[in-house]
Amino acid sequence: MNSLLSAGLILMLGFAGARLLKYIKLPSVTAFLIVGIIIGPQILNMVTEEIFLASDFFSNLVLGVIAFSLGENFRLEEIKRGMKQVMWISVVAAVGVWLLVSAAIVIYFIIIKFPLYPALVLGAAASATAPAATVLVIREYRASGLLTELLLKVVAIDDAWCLILGAMAIAFANAMRADVFQTAHVFAGIGEIVGALIIGGFMGYAFSSLNRFVKTSEEFMIYIFGFLLFNVGLSITMHVSVLLSSMMMGLVVINISRQNYKFFEVLRTVDAPLYLMFFILAGAHLDFSILYKMGIVGILYIVFRTVGKVYGAKLGARISGASKPVENWIGLALSPQAGVALGIGLVAKATFPDYGDYIFTIIAATTVVFELVGPLLTKLSLQKVGEISSLE
Amino acid sequence: MNNIFGLALIIVTGFIGAKLLRRVHFPAVTAYLLIGVIIGPRMLNIIPAEIIGFSGEISYFVLGVIAFSLGENFTFSELKAAGRSVLWISILEAASAWILVTSVIMVYCIITRMPLHPALVLGAAASATAPAATVMVVREYRARGIVTDMLLRVIAIDDAWCLVLSALAITAASALHAGAFQATIILHAVWEIAAALVCGVIVGFGLHYSSRFARNQEDIYVLVLGVILTIVGMSLMFSLSPLLAAMAAGVVIANVSKKGSLYFDLLRNVDAILFLGFFVLVGANLEIDVIPHVGILGIVYLLFRVVGKIVGVKLGAMISGSDPKIGRYLWWGLVPQAGVALGVALSAKALYPRYGELIFTTIAATTVLYELVGPVCVRYGLRRAGEI
Repeated sequence: MNSLLSAGLILMLGFAGARLLKYIKLPSVTAFLIVGIIIGPQILNMVTEEIFLASDFFSNLVLGVIAFSLGENFRLEEIKRGMKQVMWISVVAAVGVWLLVSAAIVIYFIIIKFPLYPALVLGAAASATAPAATVLVIREYRASGLLTELLLKVVAIDDAWCLILGAMAIAFANAMRADVFQTAHVFAGIGEIVGALIIGGFMGYAFSSLNRFVKTSEEFMIYIFGFLLFNVGLSITMHVSVLLSSMMMGLVVINISRQNYKFFEVLRTVDAPLYLMFFILAGAHLDFSILYKMGIVGILYIVFRTVGKVYGAKLGARISGASKPVENWIGLALSPQAGVALGIGLVAKATFPDYGDYIFTIIAATTVVFELVGPLLTKLSLQKVGEISSLE
Repeated sequence: MNNIFGLALIIVTGFIGAKLLRRVHFPAVTAYLLIGVIIGPRMLNIIPAEIIGFSGEISYFVLGVIAFSLGENFTFSELKAAGRSVLWISILEAASAWILVTSVIMVYCIITRMPLHPALVLGAAASATAPAATVMVVREYRARGIVTDMLLRVIAIDDAWCLVLSALAITAASALHAGAFQATIILHAVWEIAAALVCGVIVGFGLHYSSRFARNQEDIYVLVLGVILTIVGMSLMFSLSPLLAAMAAGVVIANVSKKGSLYFDLLRNVDAILFLGFFVLVGANLEIDVIPHVGILGIVYLLFRVVGKIVGVKLGAMISGSDPKIGRYLWWGLVPQAGVALGVALSAKALYPRYGELIFTTIAATTVLYELVGPVCVRYGLRRAGEI
C-alpha cells in the first residue's frame, strides 16, 4: 500500500468511525483514537511507515493550529473580565495535582524502598492537560457557556505551568539523585516559556503588520499557514514551547486588530482533516502492551491525578469566586492528558539513565488511559453544566 | 533545519515571489517554479531532503485535486452543447502535435542516420499538456468565458489521448526497434484508461452516497480529501492513470450530486496553498542543467509541438463549428507541458537502452522550458481572448 492510499483510508475510516461511534455517544476524538489503534501497527497495520514517520510533523503542525486558535480567546477585554478565575483554577489545579500525585507515589516508594525522585517527575507530568482533545470536544458539540470559556483559557495556559513544574521537578529530582541542584534546569524551563512568548509575540506582530499584502481570499490561506508553520518551525529550532508561542501569536493577532478574526475563521474551515489525521496517528502510536507495565504506581498516578484535578480546580474556582456548576465540573473537564506529559517523560528519559525509562513508561501508560477516557469526561462535564445543547 | 521550517520557507518564499513577479505581470505559477529552482537542491538547497523526497506523493495528491475539480466542467447539460467541440479539438490538437513532431523528427533522423523509433515516442510526448499549470493561471486571473471553459475541458481529457497515443507510439517504436509488434502495450493503455474511469466512477458514487452521512461541511471536506487520496493511491497501486480516475469521480459528483458545487467550492478554499507547494516542489525538482542539452532535436520539438497544437485546434474548431475565438486563442492554453510528458519519457527510458536516454533528455529539457514559458502563454492567450 502506498502512502496516498493509506492517507485516504485514514481520512475515510476516521469519518466512518466517528459516525458509527456516535451511536454510542462517543466523542469523535475518542473514535479517531480507536480507529487509529485498529488500523495502527498493532492490529491491521494499514498506516505506512512514511506516514508514521510524518506523525511528528503532523502533531507539531496541529498543535500549532490549535494553540493559535486558542489565542483568539484572549481578547484584552476578556482577559480583564475573567483572567482571575483562569489563573487561580489553572495554577491550583496544576500544583495540586503535582503535590498530590508526587506525595502519593513518594509514600509508596518509601514503603517499597525505591528511590524517591521519580515521584517528583511523575507528579509534574500529571499536572499537564491536553488542549487538542479538549478543544475538539468543545467544537464537536458546539458547547458554549461559562465553563467552556474558562476551559478554553485554562488549557491554553496550562502548558506554561506544566513547563515550570516539569523543569522544577527535574531539577529537584536531579538534586535528590546526584546531590547537585542545577538551577540551569529551572532556568531552562523559564527560558522555554519566555522565549516562546517572545517569538510568538513577535510573529504575531509581524503577522498583523504585513497582512495588508494579503489581497485575495486564496492568499489568506497561504499567508496564515506560512506564518503558522514558520512560527512552529522557529519554536522547534529554538527549543521553546510550540504551544505557548503559537498561542501567543494568536493572542497578539486578535488583539492588534479586530479585522484579524477573519484569519481564525479561515483556519476553522480547513482544519478538520488535520485534527482527524492527528488523532488517528496518535491512536496508531498508542502502545497497549505498555498498560501491563503500569503497576501500582500507574494506578496511584491515575487516581490522584483525577482527584487532584477535581479538587484543585474546585479550590481555585472557589477562591476566585466562580459559579457553583463551574466549580464542580471544571476539574473533570481537564482530564485529558497527551503530548505535553509525554514531553516531560521524554526529558526524564534523556536525563536519568537509571529510572528515566521507568518514568517514561508510567507516563506513556497513563496517557493511554487518560487520552481515551479524558474526552468522555470532558464531554460529561460540559453536559452536566448544560453547555451542550440537548440535540446532540 | 526541521521539516516544518522547511515547509514554512517554501510557503513564505513562494508567497513573496508571486507578489514580486506580479508587478512584472508574471503569473504566480512561474514565480513558484522560479522560487523552487532557487531554493531547491540545485541552487540554495534550503528545502529539507525529506520534503523533496515527499514531492512525488504531494504532486500526485495535488494533481488528483486538480483533476477532480476539472470534473466540474463536465456536466451533461453543458456537454450536450459543447461535447462535439471538446472531442474534436482535443483529439486533433493531440494527434496533430504527434504527427507533426514525429514526421519532422523522422526527417531529421533520416538525415542524421539515426534509427526512427525515438521520433514516434517524442511525438507522443508532444501531444501531452499540463492541466495543473493551466488551471492555476485560469484561477489566478479569474478567467471566464467560452475559451476558458473549452480549455479546461480539453486539458482534462487530454491525458486520455496522450495515453493512447504514447501506447501506440511505443508499440510502433518497439516494432521498429526490435521487429516485434506487441499489441499488449496498446491493450494495456486501453485498460489503463478504462479501468481508471471505472475506478473513478465507482469511487465517485461511493462519495456521493456516503456524503449523506455527513453532518456539516467539515465532514464533506474530510470525505472529499479522503476520496481523492484513495483514488490516486489506488490508481498508482494498479498503475492506472490517477488523473483520469480523479476526473471521473469529479464528473460523477458534478452530475449526480444535488450539492455538487459545494464539493468544488470546498476544494477551491484550500487549493491555493496546495498549488503553491506543488509548483515550488516542481521547480525544485526541475533539472535546469539539462537545458543546454536541448540540441537541434529539442528545438525542432519545441517548435513543431506548438505548430501542431495551433493546426489541431484550428482544424478541430472549424470541423465542430465552434466559436471563432476558440480557434484563434485556445492553443495558447495548451503550450504548457509537464508531468504527463515526462511519464512517457520515463517509460521510453526504461524500454530503449540505446536511445532512451536521448529521448528522456530531450523531453525533460523541453519540459523545463515549456513549464517556465507555458503559464505566460496561457495568460497571454486568455488575455487576448478578453477573458481575463
